Amino acid sequence: MALLSVRNLHARVGDKDILKGIDLEVGAGEVHAIMGPNGSGKSTLASVLAGRDAYEVTQGEVLLDGKPLLELAPEARAAEGVFLAFQYPVEIPGVGNLHFLRTALNAQRRVKGLEELDAMDFLQMAKEKSKLVQLDAAFMNRSVNEGFSGGEKKRNEIFQMAVLEPRLAILDETDSGLDIDALRTVAGGVNGLRSPQRSMVVITHYQRLLDYIVPDKVHVMAGGRIIRSGGRELALELEEKGYGWLGLQDGKAAATKGGEARR
Amino acid sequence: MTPGVTRYVDVASRFQARDATTPAWLQRVRQEGLEHFARLGLPTTRDEAWKYTNLSPIADGAFVPSATAGSTAELSAVVARLALPGPRLVFVDGRLSPELSSVAGLPRGLTLKPLRDALVEDGALLEAELGQRALAAEQAFTALNAALLEDGAVLRLAPGALSEVPVQLLFLTRGDAPVLASPRILVVAGEGSEATLVETYASATGVSGQGFTNAVTEVTLGDNASLKHYRLQSEGDAAVHVGGLHVLQGRDSRFVSHNFAFGGVLARNEVSVTFAGEGGDATLNGLYVGRGTQHLDQRTALDHAVPRCTSRELYKGVLDDRARGTFHGLVKVRQDAQRTDSRQQNRNLLLSEHAQADTRPQLEILADDVKCAHGAVVGRLDAQALFYLRSRGIPRAEAERLLTYAFARELVDAVPEGPVRASVEGLLAPKLPGAPRTEVTA
Ligand SMILES: Nc1ncnc2c1ncn2[C@@H]1O[C@H](COP(=O)(O)OP(=O)(O)OP(=O)(O)O)[C@@H](O)[C@H]1O
Ligand SMILES: [Mg+2]
Repeated sequence: MALLSVRNLHARVGDKDILKGIDLEVGAGEVHAIMGPNGSGKSTLASVLAGRDAYEVTQGEVLLDGKPLLELAPEARAAEGVFLAFQYPVEIPGVGNLHFLRTALNAQRRVKGLEELDAMDFLQMAKEKSKLVQLDAAFMNRSVNEGFSGGEKKRNEIFQMAVLEPRLAILDETDSGLDIDALRTVAGGVNGLRSPQRSMVVITHYQRLLDYIVPDKVHVMAGGRIIRSGGRELALELEEKGYGWLGLQDGKAAATKGGEARR
Repeated sequence: MTPGVTRYVDVASRFQARDATTPAWLQRVRQEGLEHFARLGLPTTRDEAWKYTNLSPIADGAFVPSATAGSTAELSAVVARLALPGPRLVFVDGRLSPELSSVAGLPRGLTLKPLRDALVEDGALLEAELGQRALAAEQAFTALNAALLEDGAVLRLAPGALSEVPVQLLFLTRGDAPVLASPRILVVAGEGSEATLVETYASATGVSGQGFTNAVTEVTLGDNASLKHYRLQSEGDAAVHVGGLHVLQGRDSRFVSHNFAFGGVLARNEVSVTFAGEGGDATLNGLYVGRGTQHLDQRTALDHAVPRCTSRELYKGVLDDRARGTFHGLVKVRQDAQRTDSRQQNRNLLLSEHAQADTRPQLEILADDVKCAHGAVVGRLDAQALFYLRSRGIPRAEAERLLTYAFARELVDAVPEGPVRASVEGLLAPKLPGAPRTEVTA
């Protein structure tokens, strides 16, 4: 059974339909990449999966390991193992990065009936995990993302993922704005977290990332639908030929229906 | 006179009649106070300076001064919880409690005296200094305080005296009776002296305490003197509090005020600073945190009367339930006050649909070569930040508490680390439980 099943998902903001029937199955331990032009709904899909209430789901369902996800509050989804690395992580002045993360981890542990980690044990664990993305201790002591550069914010997202150990990680353009060294570091961190129990959905505009994080499947989104799915070679083809190759010159979905295009 | 005013006039007249041995100058101060109060009456919302604040809890309350502090031994546990290490005077229901006070460890060059002793022993000084900064002729509550003048404290700093330890004045109300406390505090800081003064106002009965405290503090800073002043107002949610802090700053003097207003069904905290010498520097920090039906009213007035002075002001309010917070900050830059540098900020966080904040920055600038900035905000918790925290597994209520404390902590962190900060955190914790108990650092 797939870890994540998205079935005919429709979502909107106000009276604007953004997701228009998404179908997606991600097996346990698989990495899927989602590509697609600006505004095609990739971040919206990620937000809906994480539980952002600005979006109204009008049709469809989402199952995590067979359990319906959409009725859960964001914090309950996190405790079920959903993690979203944000495209634009927010700065939260006044909330210390470590305090925040320990509060989050302990909240999840409470739900799972596990004992909370005390400050010392947590600190030791966090230091260990921070090595994965080479996040300096100084960043951990600052307020959440406050004054972090774009690359530092992205590293902080992966650091949080390493600490929270989700079952399903959705990485929304974690590679955008990274220089090549930072990209290698972040990708190395992500690869270090790949495991048979952990699935990932990696949203990106660049084939470059997929050289480092090699996906099992690649999907192309346009106009709120997945219009094409394939293996790794689909990303290479896209890189070479552009979206125009899929009949997407103007960024809108071609007539192809998502269901027909999937392999 | 309205019935409320008549009642206070009667109370003050009886108080003044009871003591025939009073020195003539003090009798005069009290009498004039009474006359001014009778003439001014209680302010109403028609008064510009009281626009947002309905004083009916004061007008309708049957508050009377306590004759003595009574037996205070049973309060020692409360004092132990609220006391800072260092010299302190403790007052119970507005009256000095010698047994709870201790001036041991007072640094050299500092003189700390109960007002009732100073009124007898230092008549000449007090006659010259009392009522110079706080004007009974213009302010009804200062006048009422003068009419009932008896208890409080006098802190004097000899020129060049330096004190590391804070001096604390702890005002406790038992909270079980409608007591009127009228403390007067006088601070005279000689040239180049430096000290920290903490005024703590609390109810011994905790959150349910009642009573009316009408406090007046007058501060005169000599040239190059420096005072850090803390007001920790954390009386019970049924208490009424009016506090006025009036400061005159000499040349190159530095004044920092930390004003924490957490308690009271009605609390007014007023700070006024006048720069009398060039090069003065004033920082006014304020945090007001209200819930239930609390009404917390902050008023500040900065008078840049001379050139080259700097003022920095940051007040933040956190308002929940049906609480209402108001901020009115006046910055006056007089014609001669060239090269004034002044910044004022007021930010309010509303946590419920029914909470309310009124903010009113007011600049009156008559000089032309000045830097003045001000800003005022009333807002709610940031939805994106809230979602970010929840998406990591933090339950909504806990995330809201974290963000609320994050908003307020700037003013807690402005207090240098040490016993005063710990005291602020202790008083704030029951009202803003989002504070990290053990902050870990890598
Ligand atoms: N809260 C919102 N209110 C109004 N419109 C929105 C909102 N969120 C998304 N949209 C719109 O929905 C569409 C999809 O946005 P989304 O951010 O999901 O695209 P994306 O595929 O992630 O694009 P990009 O590659 O630029 O990150 C866009 O047209 C966007 O303007
Ligand atoms: Mg996006």
